Amino acid sequence: METKRELKFESPSFSKRLKGMLGVDFYRLFHTPMFYIFLVIAAIIPAMVSAMTTMPDANGNKMEPLYSNVWQIIAASEPLYVVNSIADYANMNMVFIFGGIMVSIFIGHDYKSGYVKQLFTTHAKKQDYMMSKSIVCAFAMVCMCITYLIGGTIGGVLAGYSLEVNVGSLILAILGKMIMSFGWASLYTFLNIIFRKYFGVSIASSFFFGTGILIIGIAAIVENLSLPTSFLNLFLYGSSVNACLVSGIPTLLICAAVSAAWAVIYNVLGTRILSKSDVY
Amino acid sequence: MNAIEIRNLSKSFRGMYAVDHLNMTVPVGAIYGFIGENGSGKSTTEKLICGHLVPDGGTITLFGKDYTDPGVRVRVGALIEDPGCFPGSSVYQNLMMQAINLGLENGEEEIRRVLEIVRMEDSANLKFKNCSLGMKQRIGIAMALLGDPALLILDEPINGLDTDGMRIMREILVDITQTYGCTVLISSHILGELEKIATHYGIIRQGRMIMEISAKEMDSRAQMFISLKTGEMQKAKALLQKKFADVREEDGSIRVYDADDPAAIVDYLMKNGHVISEIKKNKIGLEEYYIELMSQKEGK
Repeated sequence: METKRELKFESPSFSKRLKGMLGVDFYRLFHTPMFYIFLVIAAIIPAMVSAMTTMPDANGNKMEPLYSNVWQIIAASEPLYVVNSIADYANMNMVFIFGGIMVSIFIGHDYKSGYVKQLFTTHAKKQDYMMSKSIVCAFAMVCMCITYLIGGTIGGVLAGYSLEVNVGSLILAILGKMIMSFGWASLYTFLNIIFRKYFGVSIASSFFFGTGILIIGIAAIVENLSLPTSFLNLFLYGSSVNACLVSGIPTLLICAAVSAAWAVIYNVLGTRILSKSDVY
Repeated sequence: MNAIEIRNLSKSFRGMYAVDHLNMTVPVGAIYGFIGENGSGKSTTEKLICGHLVPDGGTITLFGKDYTDPGVRVRVGALIEDPGCFPGSSVYQNLMMQAINLGLENGEEEIRRVLEIVRMEDSANLKFKNCSLGMKQRIGIAMALLGDPALLILDEPINGLDTDGMRIMREILVDITQTYGCTVLISSHILGELEKIATHYGIIRQGRMIMEISAKEMDSRAQMFISLKTGEMQKAKALLQKKFADVREEDGSIRVYDADDPAAIVDYLMKNGHVISEIKKNKIGLEEYYIELMSQKEGK
C-alpha cells in the first residue's frame, strides 16, 4: 500500500522522555487547585498548633507552653525517635504526611481519569513515570516545607515564643527535611503503584507510612532495651527526625545518602512492578 | 513492512484466554476494521499493542520494530475506551498536557491543528466534563492525533454517537488517513459504519483471528441477491425454490441468492399469477457477511 509520507522512528533520549513526562506533571501540579490547597494546609497547621499551645484551658488557666522557642515547631530540639507528646511530633515532619496524601490524590487522578493510558501508550519505558512522579511530588513537598516554615514561624511569633536559635543548625535541619522529601515522594509513588487499583488503600498506606509509626514503635522497643538508636537513621522517618535543631553537616549528608538510597530502591522496584504488570 | 504484525499473541485473565495465540497483520496506510462480538478480545488486543497490558506470550511488531521501542511508541496515538482526560481541566489544557508529554515544540499550533481536524476549534476553553459524548470522543481523537502519529488505535470510537456524530467521525477518519497517511486500527460494533471506511478487516472470535480480508476481496466475495415482496409470500417462495437453489425468507422479504436478473424473476412470478409489490437487486453487506460467518463457526 502506498504511503503519503516517509516513516521515521527516532528513539527519544532518556532526558527527552523524562523532560516530556516532567513537563506534564509540573503542568498538572500548577494547574490544579489541589497543590495550592496543600500548600495552605501546610502553612495553617503549624500556625494553629502554635496558637493552640498557648490558649487557656476550659477554666481560663493559661496552659504550660509546649515549646520553648518558635523553631521547635519546625524541628525538634534533638532527635526524638519516640514521641512522648504532641509537641514532639508536631514539626516539619508533618509535611511528609500531607505529602503522602497529596501524592495519592495526584497519582490516583492519573488512573481515575484514564490519562495514564495516554502516558503509557507513548512512553514505553515505565521508569519515566516513576522518576517523574517522584521528582514532581518531592518538589511539591519542598514547597510545603517552605509554607510550613512560614506558617510555623508566624504562628510561633504571634504565640509569643522566643526566636533564639542556632541559625546554622536550623538551616541544616530544614535543608535535611527538604532533601528527605525525595525519598518520601519515591516511597509514596511506589505505594501508589502497588495499590493503583485501590485509591482508598493508597491513601491509607501513605498515611500509615508517613506517620512513621513503624519506626516510632521500633524506637520505643530499642529505647526500652537501652540499645543505640542511630541505626534508625537508615530509614526515611529516622533520618527525617534526625534533622533537628542540633544538626550539623553530617546530619545533612546522612539525609542526602538515605533519601537518595531509598529513592533509588523505590524507583527500581516501582519500575519493575509497572513493567511486569498490567497498567490497570 | 506492515504497520502491525502480531504473531501468537496470548493474554489470559485468571486462567481464561482473552487473546488466544492471535495472528494479525495490518498493512501500512490501511484502515483496519477490527470486528468481533463483546468479549471476543478486541479491546484486550488493542491494549496489548499500546503496552497497557503485559502479554503472556507472542510478539508484537510495529513498523518492523518491537512494540516496546520508544521511537515507535511515541508515534502511536490511541483512544481506548475513553479519551483519558482530566474532567476538571479544559479541552485546551488536556491537549496541552499531551503536547508537552510528547515533547512537541509547537504545542499551541499543534493543538489548533488537531482541533480543526476534529471540528472543535471553538471548544478549546470548555471544561472536559461539560462536553457531550460525541465531543469527548472527538477530543480523544484529537489527543491521539497530536505529534504526527503513524498509527492510530481507536477502540469503539463511534459507540453511543448519534447519526450526525457518526457522520462527522467517519469524515474525520477518512480525512486523517487520506491527508496524513496514518494507519488506523479501529474496532466497532457498528459494521455498517465501518464498511464505509475500512480498507481491511480482521474478524476475531474467542480471542482468535478467524479471518483477515481486504475490503476489495470482501467485495468480490460478497454474494448478490434479489429481494422481493409479493401478496402471497409462502407460495411465491415455494415457486422460486423450484427454479433457484438458494431462496430464503429474511427481514420480511424473499431473497433469491446468486441471481442477478430481476426481470427474469418478475417474468417467472407473473406468469404464475403472482403480483410483485417490490423488487431490489442487492449485495450482502459486511454485517450480513459477519453474521453468516459467525453462524458457520457456531455450526448453525
